[in-house]
Amino acid sequence: MNIFHLALKNISGNSFRSGVVALCAFLVAAFALTTTLLMRGAENSLRLAIDRLGADIVVVPSGSEAKVESALLMGVPARIWMPQNNVNIIANLSGIEAASPQLYLATLTGASCCSVSDMFMIAFDPATDFTIQPWLKQNLGDDLRLGEVVGGSYISATEGDQNIRIYGYLVTLKANLEPTGTGLDQSMFFTFTTAQDIARKSVTQAEEPLEIPPDSISAVLVKAQPGVDLYDLSAQIVRVVPDVTPILSSDMFQSYRTQMTGLLKTILVIMGITWGLSVVLIGLVFSMAANERRKELGVVRAIGATRQFVFQSLLMEASLLAVLGGVTGIGLAVLFVFLFKKLIVVSLGFPFLLPSPSVLIFQIFIGMLLALFSVNLAALFPAIRISRQDPAVAMRE
Amino acid sequence: MRKFMGGIIIVMALVIGILPAFTDCQSQGRSLALANGKTVPMKCHWTGIASIVVAVPLGLVGISEIFSKRKETSNALSILGVTLGAFAILLPTSLIGVCANPDMLCNMIMKPALILTGSIAIAASAVYFASSRKNIELSA
Repeated sequence: MNIFHLALKNISGNSFRSGVVALCAFLVAAFALTTTLLMRGAENSLRLAIDRLGADIVVVPSGSEAKVESALLMGVPARIWMPQNNVNIIANLSGIEAASPQLYLATLTGASCCSVSDMFMIAFDPATDFTIQPWLKQNLGDDLRLGEVVGGSYISATEGDQNIRIYGYLVTLKANLEPTGTGLDQSMFFTFTTAQDIARKSVTQAEEPLEIPPDSISAVLVKAQPGVDLYDLSAQIVRVVPDVTPILSSDMFQSYRTQMTGLLKTILVIMGITWGLSVVLIGLVFSMAANERRKELGVVRAIGATRQFVFQSLLMEASLLAVLGGVTGIGLAVLFVFLFKKLIVVSLGFPFLLPSPSVLIFQIFIGMLLALFSVNLAALFPAIRISRQDPAVAMRE
Repeated sequence: MRKFMGGIIIVMALVIGILPAFTDCQSQGRSLALANGKTVPMKCHWTGIASIVVAVPLGLVGISEIFSKRKETSNALSILGVTLGAFAILLPTSLIGVCANPDMLCNMIMKPALILTGSIAIAASAVYFASSRKNIELSA
């Protein structure tokens, strides 16, 4: 009988004890992987949203920073306005490479003239835009024409093959952007001309007209020249443009990051407690098992088994239970996060994007390693103690 | 091990039978309004009703697995467990489906819960099948 078979016999010999150890490994692996997936998924999502914006600074009306962050991150429609002239003032500042205005709009709630209720929509100026246009040129090889839109990854045609009804106006969905896990996935992008056309026709076609205040915009996206200090540039914008707040891309979604950090700390504490308790519990179970089996292992030693054989068989038993619990825990954790993704996003109020397969495999590997390490660490001391005992003394007890 | 797997299948059957009744759109007061003013339940409601039809035999399979001792019975119960677990997955995904709006409760809770519990029931039945074969080999 080799070490593997001996360990298997020991596991099946006491299913309750083995079940407790496997359950601890299950908890450690499942909790660690779920936490990592959620936190990394949220961070990944924030980074992609900032990349999608493609701006160094976003200038918004004062006091509307939280609204803009909620709109861009969670797709909560924002209706904010500032004078259109702000774009020209910002564009003429030194150190600015490009400045482009955007309009933030939303569909009506529960109205038959809008096939998607309460959807966040972004209108951009094709003449100055540097965020959507490069993507369009690269992927469609063309600009958006009047009545054409680009949707986030969740946007699909609701009227016929390619159309969506907004304020009674049929727009054509030209393409979908890659998923970011944020509100941008549920948003729609079109040009200023399309926005004005929808607003004009909505007066007769919609239950309520789309109102765009004259000479108004919602935000200005700013791209700085290479090497320019963004903090100096922000200060300059605040000085020359009244009632606006420049948000640096690195500071974007700061309130969400703070919330996430708070949650991460809580999760880390709970995880630490779970891990510690699991290791202690596994240690206790193995100590009890080792004491119970003193005589049995003494006989094994007496018939010729070395100390190393006894030590290795106990660690093999621990490893097998860790693999059993770890694989089950990891499998359920991945399935849970994948299936309940939407519920998690809604409940936690964070954006979330599943990692790429290679990153997921790496995280699964780390989760398995943690389960193996925890169980082996807990089983190490009882295994050392029992393997060092004198077989004659052990058999007499 | 076999009794434990039987217990897991019973728990899964309870979840499959009870949870949809509280997470379909009908339970949230939502229904489809017809042109004549009448209302009809959305399709997630019918998935919920059908899942009870799956849950009852699955629960009976779990109970039988706890008490079963014969190889032939164990094999038949395992196959039945796998089939019913597969039906629990297929009901919200392809056989009947749930509402189209991803923000609705049936999409956020009912569908993933049925897929998860169906998968666990399949896995538990497979483990039961393997362990009952091993036990029979040992007793022979």
